[in-house]
Amino acid sequence: MSSNEQFNQISPSEFFYRNRDLAGFSNPTRSLYTAVREFVENSLDACDHSGILPNIHMTIKAVDPEKPDPKQYILTVKDNGPGIPSKHVPLAFGTVLYGSKFGLKQARGMFGLGATMAILYGQITTNKSVKVKSNADGKTRFDFEMLLDIQKNKPVILKKQETPSSEKGLSVSICLDGDYSKAGTKIRDYVYQTSLITPYATISFDDPKGEKFHHKAIIRSMPPAPTIIAPHPYGIDVETIRRMLVDTHYQIPNVDDKMIEKVRKELGMSKKKFTYDEIMKKTEKKWKSLTRPVRVVLSLMSFLEADFEKLQRIRIEDVDLRNNKLVYWDYSTSQTLVAEMDVESHYYKQLANTVQGESLTHFLSKRFQRVGPTAALEFCKFAKFKPETRVGNMTDQELVKLSDALQTYDGFRSPDPTCLAPLGDGPLEKGIERRFEPDFMAVVQRTASAYSGFPFVIEMGIAYGGKIETRGTTVYRFANRIPLLYDEGSDVVLKVVKDTDWNRYKVKNDSAPLIIVSHICSTRVPYKTVGKENVADRPEIEKELRLALQFLSRKLSGYMSNKGQAEMAKKRANLYSKYLPLVAQFCTELSGNKKEPNYKEMIKEETALINSEGSQGEVKKNG
Amino acid sequence: MAKKQTKKEIKKQTKKDKIDKSKNLIGLLKKHGAQVYEDLENGEFPKFSIPNRSISNIIYDKKLRQYVLGTNTSLRSSRNSSQLRSFTQLLWLAFFANKLTHEKKSSTLRDVYYSSQAFAVDFEDQGESDNIIVDLEAVLSQPREDFYVFPEERSSIFGDLTIEYTIPGYEGKTQNLSSHPDGYAIGPSMTSAELVDTSAELVIAIEKGGLFTRFVEEQVDKKFKSIIINTGGQAPRSTRTLLKRLHDEMGLPVVILTDGDVYGEHIAMVIKSGSANAAHLKGLTVPDAKWMGVWATDIDKFKLPTIPMTESDIKRCYDLLKDPRYQEGLWKRELEVFIKIKRKAELEAFSKYGLNNITEKYLPKKLEESKSF
Repeated sequence: MSSNEQFNQISPSEFFYRNRDLAGFSNPTRSLYTAVREFVENSLDACDHSGILPNIHMTIKAVDPEKPDPKQYILTVKDNGPGIPSKHVPLAFGTVLYGSKFGLKQARGMFGLGATMAILYGQITTNKSVKVKSNADGKTRFDFEMLLDIQKNKPVILKKQETPSSEKGLSVSICLDGDYSKAGTKIRDYVYQTSLITPYATISFDDPKGEKFHHKAIIRSMPPAPTIIAPHPYGIDVETIRRMLVDTHYQIPNVDDKMIEKVRKELGMSKKKFTYDEIMKKTEKKWKSLTRPVRVVLSLMSFLEADFEKLQRIRIEDVDLRNNKLVYWDYSTSQTLVAEMDVESHYYKQLANTVQGESLTHFLSKRFQRVGPTAALEFCKFAKFKPETRVGNMTDQELVKLSDALQTYDGFRSPDPTCLAPLGDGPLEKGIERRFEPDFMAVVQRTASAYSGFPFVIEMGIAYGGKIETRGTTVYRFANRIPLLYDEGSDVVLKVVKDTDWNRYKVKNDSAPLIIVSHICSTRVPYKTVGKENVADRPEIEKELRLALQFLSRKLSGYMSNKGQAEMAKKRANLYSKYLPLVAQFCTELSGNKKEPNYKEMIKEETALINSEGSQGEVKKNG
Repeated sequence: MAKKQTKKEIKKQTKKDKIDKSKNLIGLLKKHGAQVYEDLENGEFPKFSIPNRSISNIIYDKKLRQYVLGTNTSLRSSRNSSQLRSFTQLLWLAFFANKLTHEKKSSTLRDVYYSSQAFAVDFEDQGESDNIIVDLEAVLSQPREDFYVFPEERSSIFGDLTIEYTIPGYEGKTQNLSSHPDGYAIGPSMTSAELVDTSAELVIAIEKGGLFTRFVEEQVDKKFKSIIINTGGQAPRSTRTLLKRLHDEMGLPVVILTDGDVYGEHIAMVIKSGSANAAHLKGLTVPDAKWMGVWATDIDKFKLPTIPMTESDIKRCYDLLKDPRYQEGLWKRELEVFIKIKRKAELEAFSKYGLNNITEKYLPKKLEESKSF
């Protein structure tokens, strides 16, 4: 390697800028569509998590309508969600990798990166700023105009303005290169299908050609929100474990104003100034009732001999257990200082425990779902770890060994599905019924299952006839309430539908007005590509899809045979009305009678009979 | 006893029979019509009872020496939606047959198919309408010729026979069938005509048109006092009816001359005792008819040039061996010889010995022989 070669660190923004194809911003058509998705999904997620019935309004306007595509468009998405506190707005929209969604629960997007990508893309293609209007408290609306400093991954605020307003919510507006003439169909499909899978949301869309699409909410209640839960051991890798360790045990709490406030409160020393000795005295007295973070902070204070004022001026840099030293930065003197720690003190033990972390069994049973103390012990036996091993002391090799063992041990119970938020058969059924008005429909929600540690639930609906205008089987694919529109050929749902022998269910596959709605909910949907367009065929998911479809197909088959009977009856009635008059005519002439026999009653009876039979076979619903 | 009656008496009798038959048919049709009418009037769904024509219901009647239908019948009801259409078709055909019989207008199978279209009764193809015609035959136990539905003509007749037409426009007109050397087609007018007079003492039925012409040229009609009939292969039912009438009404013996193969033998058998296809009909057979040749044994006897039998020829021989009518006498013997020699000879084979060899040498010899069996 040449020594002249230069190695530059690049910021996350720059990384995304260079790899924007990965995130779905490869060309103006795709980018416009992806940007729409990212903003709408962010809004829906925000409303979902705050329990607000979403009301989302989107507009796309051409900057210069006379120009041919691709050209500049202004995309604005406005919601009635919780908004973003004004101090977070610049970071949330002005940096890449500032996310609020790092927990493990079902959400449309994983980290909220897509929206920032869209902003980045807009800025790259048009050099125009993003406009964000956020009202988080229902009192003040903050309007921002910002640019993103790509190299520094930092927001540059151009304008900030406050307006009193009682309307909560968030509105984001960007200017970007797009091609609506090509992306329009997909975007309209996207809006339509989103409304189908989110029947509790009102979504409206004004398109650049002046058309208005309005999808009103069909139901007024939201499906239960998912809970954030700990990960399942099967779905974990070394990096995640490392993060969990950092996250949990090495938690020398961030000593900020809020933390100090907490310490004061727990000690009952909120009001006045207190000396170091007074604090320590109170600490000794109250130790048992204090929470862990507070104990840690007080332990630090004991070695620093600090009161609350001093604590505010320093930042802890390292707890060096080997040398029994506490390293910290003093803001007032701008230098690094070291404090000795007394090994005998119970404050030392507190800190040491915190830094070394919990025992392995404790870590496993507290930090993971479906792992109890017994299972943790069993696992340690299996993986040949000492149960009392301190996780904080584990080497890299040990961590790899731990992660491998977690994947291979088969004694853990299957993942907890409470972090999932399926739509539920009621809302799904309502959605399908209102949007398609079919003659027949059925929905099913399978019980939760899991693939490699990630729980998932399959929901599916089937609809036939009525106002369904398409012929042949149309499949609407959804994952975590997102419509999947591109690359359907390689999707596992399509595969399962194609494999079905529809003749068995009395359905003429190529001409039947048949619609299938498939919804996969998971904490991690196994997309084949970053663009979130098709689901990979994991055997566990395929099996669940197959079972769901079989269940629904059998219901459809029942309806079809009823319908077949009704049609037969109708046909029969037609036969009688056609042939009986002929029979009457011929026999009259043959027998030499002048007047035809009185047969009309017979036709009437026959048809009446059929009508009553037929009505039984009409709209049949799952129930 | 027929022999004791004078020819005139027989004629009178048959004329009366014929009128009765026609009246009978019309009466039968009317009866069925009235039944349907009454059912409808009573709010009931009319139905026909049709003799079952499946193989299992076809049995050989030794006394009658022909195949007949057993007692199985199937019901075709207008109540049953899958039968309503064919019920209507059948009733329409009865209505149409009634019309034809009244107006004495003939029609072909194909005509029937097209005529149906004037009424809202639809047949998918002629096969379907042909089937319904056989159904009506079975219901009435009368051949379709009786209700004026004829097949395409392909057989003909020649000889000293005077007939009197009964079809509209020709009533009372007479015709002697020896005045045109090409012969007369056996069509509706022939079938319905009165047989007035003949000097012939014999009817010769020949399988092939070529030989028929040769026989006329060689004046076989005069030399052997015969009426010559070309069956054109398997004899159509109108021809078989005519043969029967010549035998029954004019008291003429019938001899049959066919190719020397298994199909020829069966052509003779069908004239004599009918076919399984027409098991639902009686009065189409001439049980006294005689197969004169060409026999399998004749092939050797007359040193006829032969051609080898095909696989299917041989299979046909074995099939016929199972037929109850081939269980004895001449029929069985000849069939077995065919199987043995595996060769066959056509009527034209005699031409090897001169064009008139068949009429000069073979025919007299066989006629003489035939008197003895």
